Amino acid sequence: MSHNIPKELKYTTDHEWAQKEGDIISVGITDFAQSSLGDIVFVELPEVGDDLSKEDSFGVVESIKSVSDLYSPLTGEIVEVNSELVDSPESCNESPYGSWMIKIKVSSEDEYNALMTPEAYQEHCESL
Amino acid sequence: MSLLKTSLHQYHLELGAKMAAFAGFDMPLQYSSVKEESLAVRSSLGVFDVSHMGEFFVTGPDAISFVDYIITNDFAGAGMEKAVYSPLCRENGTVIDDLIAYKLSNEKVLICVNASNIEKDWNWISSKTEGFNIQLENKSNDYSLLAVQGPKSEEVLKAIEVISDSDELVYYSAKELTKMGEKIIVARTGYTGEDGFEVFTSHKMASTLWSKLLENGATPCGLASRDVLRLEVCYPLYGHELNDELTPLDASLKWTVKTAKEKFIGKEALDGATSSKRLVKLSLEKGIPREGYNILNMNDEVIGVITSGTMSVELSKGISLGLVDRDKFPADKKFKINIRKNNIEATYHTKAFVTGGHK
Repeated sequence: MSHNIPKELKYTTDHEWAQKEGDIISVGITDFAQSSLGDIVFVELPEVGDDLSKEDSFGVVESIKSVSDLYSPLTGEIVEVNSELVDSPESCNESPYGSWMIKIKVSSEDEYNALMTPEAYQEHCESL
Repeated sequence: MSLLKTSLHQYHLELGAKMAAFAGFDMPLQYSSVKEESLAVRSSLGVFDVSHMGEFFVTGPDAISFVDYIITNDFAGAGMEKAVYSPLCRENGTVIDDLIAYKLSNEKVLICVNASNIEKDWNWISSKTEGFNIQLENKSNDYSLLAVQGPKSEEVLKAIEVISDSDELVYYSAKELTKMGEKIIVARTGYTGEDGFEVFTSHKMASTLWSKLLENGATPCGLASRDVLRLEVCYPLYGHELNDELTPLDASLKWTVKTAKEKFIGKEALDGATSSKRLVKLSLEKGIPREGYNILNMNDEVIGVITSGTMSVELSKGISLGLVDRDKFPADKKFKINIRKNNIEATYHTKAFVTGGHK
């Protein structure tokens, strides 16, 4: 099965995507993730102002059958949360790359630069 | 150990189903989406391959009295061609399995059991036959089973000539019929709360029926939607609301324990007994209760545990069944469910979340 993996984003092995705009990084879940989960029916997100370390759990996404933790790809402070997703979790299925979940302000670009490239993420998905 | 396959396995793969291991079988979890499949069953027609389930046949002069003896519900008193839902209990009242027994004739009974318990049930039942003039056969490998569920089930099964007007199958009854030159068993039973049928056939005929049903608009449905549908109408599932440690009384199945019967396995233990648990139906407006989450009272004390939970497709809210310790059941009937860091107040229901349209 082929999945949409936009070239302009970075990725994690946990199937999150990250998009950089200056020192703000938006984070969401990938097309592969939403397709594996099936109908997404519940999203739980953190508060603005929370500090995250790389790989901290920052929320939960639930399909009818399963509960999955969301892990932060980066260290930083949450500056914005997409509360619209809480009311319409199905957006994560319909438009995974339009459905950012949190925006993190980072102090260094190193962690972002170290995330998977689209090519590496594609290989990762194919290996599963 | 490699997974077993039903006779329709290849069809599931061709339809692109997500497959998962269940009771030793590689079973379809979902085809399109759990939502679409659940809605199809509630509003129109769905078909499930449930061939993994077990079929035992009891034949001979004592067939009915034997089945009446091993199950807690009243089978002897049920009418001819009736289906009876019942727990199967040990002498101490704990539940080995829950099953449906079909009274096909005076000397022939079909018992349909959960796939995960086939071996356990077989060992138990075959050890209890002494003194009964019966033959017991495990035909689980010989039968395919299709559950055809939804308001259009009768119409479509008639259109493809599996049943006819003269068959007069009423709700919770079953008949042996000869169709397309083959003996099949058609029961008006199911696990969705909707009107529907379960068709026991040869593997070959199952693939013919599967194709005809899809051609006639049935939506193929997987085990994931089956679980949502049964939970919406609050049907218990063995391994969740029922298990080897609990009695039927614990799972609020007192109505299936007929202590007025002269004798049955478990009677001494269950007659006059009280339950140690109470089954509760709880829903949440926000959040989804899941199996294993704690149930609390308003003082945030743990009083029980969720045994099954999901998102209801019909209601778009989290629904669950749970077992609460009888001596901790709160007088105010107010409950909370612990989800991660939060204790969230739940709505307590006295009736099933969804009323199915079965006849």
